[in-house]
Parts: sequence; structure tokens; C-alpha cells
Amino acid sequence: MKNTLYQNGARLGLMLFTVFTIWGCDSFVDVELPNSQLTAPAVFEDMATADAAMTSIYSSLRDRGVLTGEPVGLSLQLGNYADELDYYGYSQSSTDNYYLNALTPSLQDIKTLWTDSYNQIYAANAVIYGVENSTKLSTENKNQLKGEALFVRALVHFYLVNLYGDVPYITTTDYEVNRNVSRMPVATVYSLIKADLVASVDLLPQDYVSSNRVRPNKLTARALLARVNLYMGNWDEASNDASAVINETSQYSIETNLDAAFLKTNPSTIWQFSPALSDHNTQEGSTFLFVVGPPPMSALTTTLVSSFSVGDLRRTHWIGSVTDGTTTWYYPNKYKNTLTEGGSVEHSIVFRLEEQYLIRAEARARQGNLTGAKDDLNMIRNRAGLANTTAVTDVELIAAVIEERRFELFTEFGHRFFDLKRTNNLNTVLGIVKPGWNDTDKLLPLPASELTLNPNLAPQNPGY
Amino acid sequence: MNKNSLFKGREVLLYSFLIYIYLFCLASVAFPHEGKGKRPFDKLRVTKGLESPSILRLHSGQASLTVTTSANQQTNIITGTVTDANGMLTGVTVSIKGKAVSTVTDDKGKYSIDASQGDILIFSYLGYKEVAVAVDSRSVINVTMQEDATTLKEVTVNAGYYKVKDQERTGSISKISSKEIEKQPVTNVLAAMQGRMAGVNITQATGVAGGGFAIQIRGLNSLRNTGNDPLYVIDGVPYASEAIGSFSTSGVLGGLTNPLNSINPDTIESVEVLKDADATAIYGSRGANGVVLITTKKGKSGKTKFTADYSRGVGKVTRFMDLMNTEQYLAMRREAYANDGITTYPANAYDLNGAWDQSRYTDWQKELTGGTAEYTNLNASVTGGNSSTQFLMSGNFAKQTTVFPGDFRYKKGNIHVSANHESENKKFRISFSGGYTVQDNNQPYLDLTRDSRLLAPNAPALYDANGNINWQNNTFSGNPIRHLNGQFNAMTYDLLANTTVSYDVLPNLELKSAFGFTDLRHEESSAVPNTIYNPALGIGPDNSILFLNNAARQSWIVEPQANWTKKYGKATVSVLAGGTFQNKTGSQIVHQALGFPSNSMIHNLSAASNVTITQNDESVYRYQAFFGRANLNWDDRYIINLTGRRDGSSRFGPGKQFATFGAVGAAWLFSNEEILKDNTVLSFGKLRASYGTTGNDQIGDYQFLDTYTTTGVAYDGIVGLAPSRLFNPAFGWETNKKLEIALETGFLKDRIFFTASWYKNRSSDQLVGIPLPGTTGYNSVQANLNATVENRGIEFTLRTVNFQTKDFSWITNFNLSSAKNELISFPGLEASAYRNLFVIGESINIVKVFHLTGVDPATGLYQFEDVNGDGVITEPEDKQTVKDLNPKYFGGIQNQFRYKNFQLDFLFQFVNQENYNANKTFGTPGRRTNQLASTVNHWQNPGDISPHQMYSATNYLVDEAHYYYSESDASISDASYIRLKNIALSYDVPEKWLKNVKCRLTVTGQNLLTFTKYDGGDPEFQLNDRLPPLKVITAGMQLSF
Repeated sequence: MKNTLYQNGARLGLMLFTVFTIWGCDSFVDVELPNSQLTAPAVFEDMATADAAMTSIYSSLRDRGVLTGEPVGLSLQLGNYADELDYYGYSQSSTDNYYLNALTPSLQDIKTLWTDSYNQIYAANAVIYGVENSTKLSTENKNQLKGEALFVRALVHFYLVNLYGDVPYITTTDYEVNRNVSRMPVATVYSLIKADLVASVDLLPQDYVSSNRVRPNKLTARALLARVNLYMGNWDEASNDASAVINETSQYSIETNLDAAFLKTNPSTIWQFSPALSDHNTQEGSTFLFVVGPPPMSALTTTLVSSFSVGDLRRTHWIGSVTDGTTTWYYPNKYKNTLTEGGSVEHSIVFRLEEQYLIRAEARARQGNLTGAKDDLNMIRNRAGLANTTAVTDVELIAAVIEERRFELFTEFGHRFFDLKRTNNLNTVLGIVKPGWNDTDKLLPLPASELTLNPNLAPQNPGY
Repeated sequence: MNKNSLFKGREVLLYSFLIYIYLFCLASVAFPHEGKGKRPFDKLRVTKGLESPSILRLHSGQASLTVTTSANQQTNIITGTVTDANGMLTGVTVSIKGKAVSTVTDDKGKYSIDASQGDILIFSYLGYKEVAVAVDSRSVINVTMQEDATTLKEVTVNAGYYKVKDQERTGSISKISSKEIEKQPVTNVLAAMQGRMAGVNITQATGVAGGGFAIQIRGLNSLRNTGNDPLYVIDGVPYASEAIGSFSTSGVLGGLTNPLNSINPDTIESVEVLKDADATAIYGSRGANGVVLITTKKGKSGKTKFTADYSRGVGKVTRFMDLMNTEQYLAMRREAYANDGITTYPANAYDLNGAWDQSRYTDWQKELTGGTAEYTNLNASVTGGNSSTQFLMSGNFAKQTTVFPGDFRYKKGNIHVSANHESENKKFRISFSGGYTVQDNNQPYLDLTRDSRLLAPNAPALYDANGNINWQNNTFSGNPIRHLNGQFNAMTYDLLANTTVSYDVLPNLELKSAFGFTDLRHEESSAVPNTIYNPALGIGPDNSILFLNNAARQSWIVEPQANWTKKYGKATVSVLAGGTFQNKTGSQIVHQALGFPSNSMIHNLSAASNVTITQNDESVYRYQAFFGRANLNWDDRYIINLTGRRDGSSRFGPGKQFATFGAVGAAWLFSNEEILKDNTVLSFGKLRASYGTTGNDQIGDYQFLDTYTTTGVAYDGIVGLAPSRLFNPAFGWETNKKLEIALETGFLKDRIFFTASWYKNRSSDQLVGIPLPGTTGYNSVQANLNATVENRGIEFTLRTVNFQTKDFSWITNFNLSSAKNELISFPGLEASAYRNLFVIGESINIVKVFHLTGVDPATGLYQFEDVNGDGVITEPEDKQTVKDLNPKYFGGIQNQFRYKNFQLDFLFQFVNQENYNANKTFGTPGRRTNQLASTVNHWQNPGDISPHQMYSATNYLVDEAHYYYSESDASISDASYIRLKNIALSYDVPEKWLKNVKCRLTVTGQNLLTFTKYDGGDPEFQLNDRLPPLKVITAGMQLSF
């Protein structure tokens, strides 16, 4: 009896031991998330965190990729690539390569521009996916976020297709799909951009959800749609889209004081970037402004500066100069403060009303509505202190609008380069001022590593 | 999620409940109710002698009585005391030759045994020479035993979950014991291991107290530089060695603060390093980089013994660079400006334009890092107990000051407690050990070594006549002494406790469970007040800045185990099975506080005008495993050892959490074969081999989850959330396959003991990001890349007992390791960001540099190989020369001499390697920074052939060429060295002089001599321009009674 007790004790111990060791349920090694991280689904169950996911894309656009005012952005790079800027900075920098028309597929900044852009597209797709699968967000919030994300996706693809030609249009976050994508014809990319924008216009609210117009609204998407239609040659639509924005006179009007045209309070602004810190100005200011010569980076070409008409107020208000006694260098003076100086008075303006007038002017001219086109063009000329246009025929008018765009939109996101490209004037204009300019230079090279990692992206753009 | 967490809570309760039941069960079985119902044979076991069936042995309690049934001779009780040079010996086995009768000495060294007149008593004790004494007619036999240095193979080695006799082990395990550790004036356990273990390469990161060490056991296995740490296990409890510092705060240490400093070398009994698959596979997913097992000291039975140790010493920097003096320096500066065509020295050329005294000379290396650090170490311990219960309590205090100017110091206090108990029936055992360590480190916030090498030799005095910082009329705003106003402070509290309970359920079956707990808290700050700036710059306390890092880590572990051993004829079978449940939580928060009303409030976060949290991490790590071992020993000739582990880790996603690892080891003790058994030359011979797999899960927590992380960047007042990474839940462990073949031989009664081993380890499924095209949104995804890293090498150890007499002995230990590391494959390397870091076929510790072709005699500029032939030198295209920074071979040679009461030990450590040299430190010769004295040999006129280019103070081309030079193969050179790592002389004062008080006087030294051709500072370093390891000499006294 006692013996069995003793043995039972031993057996019990053994049994428990066995239970203890074999009890290897997987759940022991399942852990919960720490407070410092959020799972993707959880982010989109609360508007505050979902909003933070969306705004981080805007800060990415502000700080990296095509739209940034940093030197790696298109404002500086394409200004140097085209005939807006001369480069004086360190040799072997990527800007020097743009300036000298010496881009190669292995350049780090060529890769970064590409990967940063697709990273922004990924983040936008992640928001779209998250919002679509959210159960707790209100329809209103869902519409707004999805509308913004679609707008960003279209916006970045718009620049990619203009820089690289055929590019893949990415609509999923699945890397197994995205690692094997092929390039799509330009027309397909444009139709996808347009589809996203049309959806975005539907979803976005009419009013801004933030102060200072730092989040896109319905009209921002419409403004991009106007530009897309202009690039596609859909004159009707371009004109209508631009009108939709221009007619919103309660929101938008043209600032008559040229010195106030790039302040953050400017009523012609459709969408601008909020700075990272509340007392900051624009990165563009730091990139373009300089106080001694020779410039640390780039100065406006004398050709551009001397092309302004006498009396063009933009020549005096938007261009500054520095001289060492013998040489004078000119800088874009649209933004008048560097990033950290002067308190917060300026934001980087991405879309402004003036462009919409010029879009409509060109579209109307191409449609044959010459009076309407002249009205729109004169709107911009008169603000700059210039008399009405003297162009008479549609061809003259179109040329006048393109020329006006050069003076109105210089050093803003590569407008000049894209205008020359879409009007087939790259070779005639740049072929003269850029030694060694080739027709193939209208497209940037794809990063070499992209082709190695995804052979489906082949072939490389011609000339590289 | 909520539902899930409730379930988790319940589960933890359930686990705890089960642990209690389990303990209760063990206790109730171990302590059966005494008194009524006491069974007569409960405590008396009868066993039959294996050797002769006619012998019955009765065991009761701890004594055993043997009755020889065939007794035909009269036996007498023989008693006596067994001692050694230091006093009585407990646990000595006393047996009768040819008979299966034995006993052991008690805690007073006494024994008693029945023997007849013709018998011969054999006294044997591990580590001592066996003594045989004929009984004759005596009834009292006292014996003095002598330590035997040749019984190495008898030593028991800790293999983690089991212990094994050194001669029977099938795996590769290196060991050092307290004897070696105690002789070294070091505060970090890794320092004590340097140069003493084959295959273990240890490098000190900095000479600043509280700094870390890097350890590589048989090379680098992982392509991730954070994935190469071994597993540390202290008394069975895994000790997380991941850094607890922050880059914002611990800059002075030359790396992140490492928790291993909490382990106090004085409390360590032994350190075993497990290297091959046979030894490490039982640690499964954490064994890939080897395992460091630390065993703390345990109590010893016998009279209560007090020991106190006190030592003091001094430390200085090992080596300085040979720099220019003022004359050479000013000549360089003048020539530089002349070369640049500048005749009027610019306003900021204070060294030349008259602002500074040009006849002044200061050796800044001596001034800024040439101080003497004082070392104090105090140890006290009490140990004692009887054969069933032993205890140990010890306390330690250590303090180190600095070689920098100023009152900086590192303090460390430690309490260690250990208790062991065995029940009267010897079935139940419980042991506890616990340690608590507090470290208090106060250093300047910045290492002054770089300044000490670069400052112009005619720079003004550090302090003015009034003892204030000398700004020399605002020409000396860079006065390095200003940095001492900034402070680094760190407090680390570390608690470590573990308990092991075991019970022999059946004669051959032991059930055991180990419980462990660790709790670490670390507070670290770096305070940089505005007073580090010249007041003339007008920088107020609104620019004072404080970085604060708080880290905490807790873990518990439960490891139930069962051991079963049985003999079947010539075969001995041992089987071990067990499980692990481990939980670790960690948190870290880093604050940056800017702007204080006054510097007196710089440690008060609430006083700051701007506080930012720059890092806020929390993590939970859960780990579960089953492990086992089966060992078959056939006649002490053939041994097979199978080990394995099935691991589950929370670091991996669903379906990938579990993996199985295993190894097979085998040994053939050919010296036990009949033909060699009585060979007089070969006393021991063993051939062993092992093969198996281990894993590596050092990838951080939560990497498999689809998460968003805060970007820390605001937009419209909202701090952004961005996807943390591409989401891939489907990655698993890095696997590491290890193969080893080794030979161990002893000659002339093991007076010469030689081992040689060859290994080849391959790590694959590397957990680096798989390179992806940018269209995926990222450049890579965390996944198992099919890249393979191989480490292969040979290791030799040789131990010779050169002399061994009563008064004099001389023992030499030698170890040598030669290793080759090679990247075997890396799919997609050329398209990935890794292409500038790795080359297939080369080591993974390479750097790619320019190749210097010389100084162009025409232009006086450095020239480099234009690899792609495009006519310009560009980075990275022309940076294609590969330099391997792994040591080619390393090792140590140690000698121990004993003459009567004197002992002398010394260890030379040697490393053959290439490393960055002084060229990496200095700026363009001609600029306002000092240079190596050898730089005077430079280009001056067209046609000159010289090793160094022209001087210049302003020429951009000269700067550019110098930059390429610092990034070229000229900046990497032989950094091999031989170093007198440790020397220790001790004298035991004869006991009779001090009435039973033992007194030992010691003098020890560390890093005292260094032989090297290296022209930089000290050749042992990982990062340039850090304070080198110090040479230390201490004197101490140990009293015990």
C-alpha cells in the first residue's frame, strides 16, 4: 500500500514532467505586439493612425523623389537637364551629370529617384488596401483617404511615365507580383493614371480637410487631371478640367502682388507641402538661393534671364542676383527664405491656379477658341505687368503660351523640360545649348540594378 | 486580439500552477513523512558488487558499509586524515586495491575503512596524484597528496545540459577555470578569455572602462553584423548579450554599451566554450555562433572559510603614435602655404600667424590620454557547509579611474550567493545561486584619443593661469579639454538568479528542473552643456543638450529535464530529455532634451525647452524547445553521442516558428584498445568527429509582422506612420552545418598532451534582405537568402609538463588557431546594395579600397589604379582592391612555474592580421592637424620619388588625393602583434608563520609588453581612434582562514 503510494508519487512526478515537456502548444511562442508598433490592419481601424499613414506619404513626397525641393528633386535636376540652370557645384554629383547630359544607369541618384517613387506608390497602395479592408472607418473617411491615395498614385506615375517612357503601373503591395512586372506602353499608363484620377475626383471632398491647403481636395485631383489631359492631347477635357478649378473663384484667385505669390497664404495655391517643423520654410529656398558667387549649386542661365521681356515684373521680383564685381549670377527668387530662416511664411507649392490658366489657354488655342485662349494668357501676362499678347493665329498663340509657361513656371518641377518634350522641341532647343544632346536623352535611363533584378523590365531605354 | 490576450494570461497562470504542482510533487517525494509508516528499507539499499557477486554493499545515508562475505582474513578499522599542501581534502576516494571497497573522506579530511594487513589503500582525488599505501600493521594512516598537473583528461567539462569527463567527450569544448581568471586584473569575463582558447578570437573595443569586447567563435557566420554573437548561458540561464546602449549616449565607449560587463569575473568558477555541432546542437537555434557557458562559484563543504582579497594597481595606455614635433610640424605648415602660393597666412592659421607661440611643444597624447588609471579591487567571501549542504557568499567591489584628465571613474559592486543541498537519502538535490551587480560609470562624453593625435603640437596650454579653460583670445575654441565639461553617466543594475531542483525517482532516473530569472535595468545619459563651447561664441544653455537612454530587460526560464543512465555489461547508456520555456521582455526609450535655463538642471528633463523621444521600443521574445541527448559508451573505447533540439521562437511567423536541429558525435579512445593499453609512450589517444546542424535567430523581434512604424517626421502637425518593411511572414532560421574531426593524444603519462582539430562550418539561408527591384517599393525583403558563408580552420593545443617535482614545476600551454572565412555564394550580389561590401570567394570581413600606385613624381600627388580605365578615379568603381581584416592565425602561449611557495604565470597572446593603420586617422598633410613623424618624407620638387604626397593647406586636388589615400590599401597594413597579455607572480606565505591564516601575495600585469611593427596606436582595436587597451599592473594580498 505504502509502496504503491511511493510509486504513485514517482509516477505522478513522471507524468507531470511528461505533460510539462510535451505540452508544446505553438501558442506559447505567439507574442502580442508591443505598443511601439502597429499592425497594418490596426492602422486603418482608427482615423488618427490612418491619417498618419497618409500624411507620411506627403512628407515622403516633400523630402524625397520627384517633387522634393531637395537637390535630388526634379526642380533642380531637370532645370539643369534643360536650359533653365547652369551648374557650378561639385563635379561628379548627380546634378552635374544631369547638367552635362551624362546620366548613366548605374548612378546612385538615378536609382534613388526610381526606388523612392515606387516606395511612395507602395505606401499609397498600402493605404488603398488598408482602407478597403477597414471595418471601423466611416465612409467619409474612407473616401477621403482612398481618394488621396489614388491621387498620389496617379501623380507619381505621371512623372515616371514622362521621365522613363514605358513604365509598370503598380496597383498592389504584393512583392511577388511587383518584382516581376513588365513595362507598359505609355498610352496604357496614361489611361490608368486617368482612371485613378477620375476615381479620386469622385472620392475627394470639395473642401480642404486641413488648413493651408496641405492635403489635396477634389480640385487638386481635377487640376492634375487637367494637366494629364493636356499632355494626352485631350483638349476638351483639359479645358473643362481647368475650368472646373478656375471657376471655383470662392476658393482660388490670382495673387496680384508677385512678392506674395509664393507665400503659404497665397489664394492661387491649389496644393502645397506642409514643412516638417512648424517654423520651417521650403527646401526649394535652400536649394536655389545663394548669397555669394560662384553659386554652391546652380544659377539661372543667362539665356533664360535675358529672354524675359522688358517690364516683366517676374524678372525683377522672381529673380535675384549676386555679383563678385566681374560676373553676375542669377537665382530663382520665387521662394525668398531658406528652409530654417525667417519663420514659417512659405510652403512648397505643387499646384497653383496660374498653371490652370495656362493649361486652358493652350487647350483653347488648340481647339480654335482663340479669344478664350488670349483671355487666359493675358490673365497671366497682365499680372506680370505685361501688355496683352500680340499673337494672332492659333500657332502663334500656342507658341506664346508655351513661352509664357517658361517665364511663369521656371524651376518648378521640370515644367520646362516636359513642355519641350511634349511639344517635340527638345532636340531643336536643347540640341543647340547642350553639347552631345541626342534624341534618346528625352528619356532617363532605368537604374541598372532594376534590369538585373527584374529582367522583365528590359530593354533599357535607348541610348544607355 | 483581446480574446487572445485573455487566453495568454490564463495560460501563464496554468504554467505557474503546473510548476507549483511539479515542485510540490518533487518535495513530497523527496521528504516522505518520517515516523509512523517508516519503512525499514526505505533508506537502506542493497546492491551487489558488480565485480564480484559475493560482495554485498549496504548503503545507508551517506556512509556505506561493505561486507565481504568470503572474508577469511581479519579486518581492522583504519582511520586517518588526507591533506594536501593547503590543508585537509574532502571527498578523496579511499579504496582497497583489488577489492570493491571504498569510502570517501569527510569534511575534515578524515576517513575510516576496514582493511586487512596485506591490503593496499589507494587514495585518489581528481587533479591529484594517486597514492598507494600498504596497510601493514597500522591502524592510522595519514596521507599528503600532491596536485598532478597531468590529469587534464580526468577533468569534468560542463556541456550545458550535461557534464562529461574530458576524456569521454565527443564534442569540441574549450575551458578556462577560476585559476586562470583570478590571475588577471580585468573586470570583463571576455578579457579573461583572450588568448587562452583555441578558435576563440576576442578583441577589446576600447580602453575606456565599461567598454565592450567583440568575440568570434570560429569566425563570422552571418552576413548581418548583428548576427554573430554566441549564446551566453550563466548557470543554465541564457543571458541576453544584445547591446543596451544607444548611439546617442554611449559614444565614449566606441560602441553600444554591452551588458556582459555585469558578469563579475571574480565569481566565475569556469567558462566553457562550445564550438562544434556535437556540443552546440543541443542549443539548437541559438548555437550557430557557439555557446559560452559560465559557471559561477559554488560553496565547498568543510570548515567555514573566509577569504578576503585586496589589490590595487595602475594602468596606462599601451602605445602612442610617433607624431611630428613642433619644428617638423611648423615646417610642414609653412611649406604647405608656400606650395599653395599663399604668403600672408590666413586669420585662422593661428599656429603660424603669430597667435600661438611657435616655440611651444606639447605631447598631446601624453597630456590627454597619458594619465594613470588607478585600479582597486576588493573581494570577500565566506564558504562552508557539510556534505549535504554547502553555501557561498561573496561580495566584490572594483573601481577604475581614467587615463583622461579629470576625475572620471568606473565602479562596480557585486554580491553573489550560492547554496546547495542534498537530502539525506541523496535522492533530492536543490541548488540556488544568485548575483546582483551594480555598475556606475562616469566618463567624459567623448573619447579624447582622436584629439590627442590631431592637435597641433604648438597649440596653447589647456588651462590659463587661473585654472580656467584657455581659449587663447578666442583662437583656441577647439581646446579639447572643453569636452570634459560633457559627461557620460551609466548605471546598470543586473540581477540573475537560478534554482535547480532534482530528484532521483528511480535508481537510474533523475528528474530535474531548472528555473532562472534575470532582471536588468540600465540608465545612461550623455550631457553636453553649452560650456563645451568658447563663451565668445555666444552659445547659451538654451543649446545645452541631454541624451537619456533607459533600457530594461527581464527574462525567466523553466527547463524541466530527465536523466537516465544505465550500464549493460560493457555498455553505458545515458539519455537526457528536457524542455525549455523562456520569456524575455525588453524596453528601451531614448530622449533628447535641448535647451535648459541653466546647466545645473541639465539632468532634469522637465527643465528642457524641447524634449524629443527619438526611440521607443518594446519587445517580447518567447522561446520554447525540447532537447535530448543519447550517449552510448562501449567499454570506454567507442562513444556515440546524439543530441538534438526542437525549437520554437516568437521571432518567426506562423508555420515558421519551429525547427529541428541535431548532431551526431563519435569518439574512439584507441589508447584503451588492448594493443595500446599498456603502451608506455602513448598514455591517451582519442579520435573524435562530429557533424550536425544549429541555427541562428538573432534577427530582432517582430520582423515577420506586417507593421507600421512611426517615421518621427511630421506633416501638417501629424507624425507619420509608414510601413516598417515589406511584409514577409515566411522566413525561418539561418542554418549552420558544422563538421569537425579531431585528434587528442597524451604521451608519457599525459605529460605531453596534444590536440588537433579541423572544422568546416557552413551557414546558409542567410537572413539578409533578398534584393528586390524598386518596383516592389523596397530594395529588399527580409527572407532567407540562399547565400552561404563558410568557416574552416584548424586548431592546435599543446600542454607539456616540463618539470614536476615536489618543489618545482613548469607547465606550458600553447594554442594556435588558423581560420579561413569565405563567402561561397550570394545570389543577386551584383545587383544588390551588398556589392560594395562582399565579394564571392572572399571573407565577409573585407573592405574594398583603392589601390595606391605611388606618388606621381611630376605632380606630387598620390596616384591610384584606375580599375575601369575611364580616366578618373571614382568611388565605388575604382575601389576594387580587397583587404581581409580577419586574423590569419592567432593563439597564445602560457607558462606556469611553481617553486615552493612561489608561482609565476605568464601568457603571450599573438595575432597575425591586417588592420587600418594611422593613415586612416590623419588629414591632408599641410592642414592644421598634426601628422605621423614619418610624413616628413614627402614630395617637394618635380622628380622626387617619395612615399608621401606634397603638403598643402588649401589645394582641393591635394585634399581629394589624400581622401582616396585614406580609402586605399595604403591605409591598411600589417597589424600583427605579440603581447604579454598576462603575467602573475604569487607567493604563499607559509601557514605556520600566520597561525592557520593563509596569505597569498600577488603581483599581476595585463598587456605589459607589446611587440608589433604596427605604426598606428595599439594594433588591437575595432574602431579607429579609440582609446587603446590599457597596460595594467596590480599588487594584491589574499587572506583566508
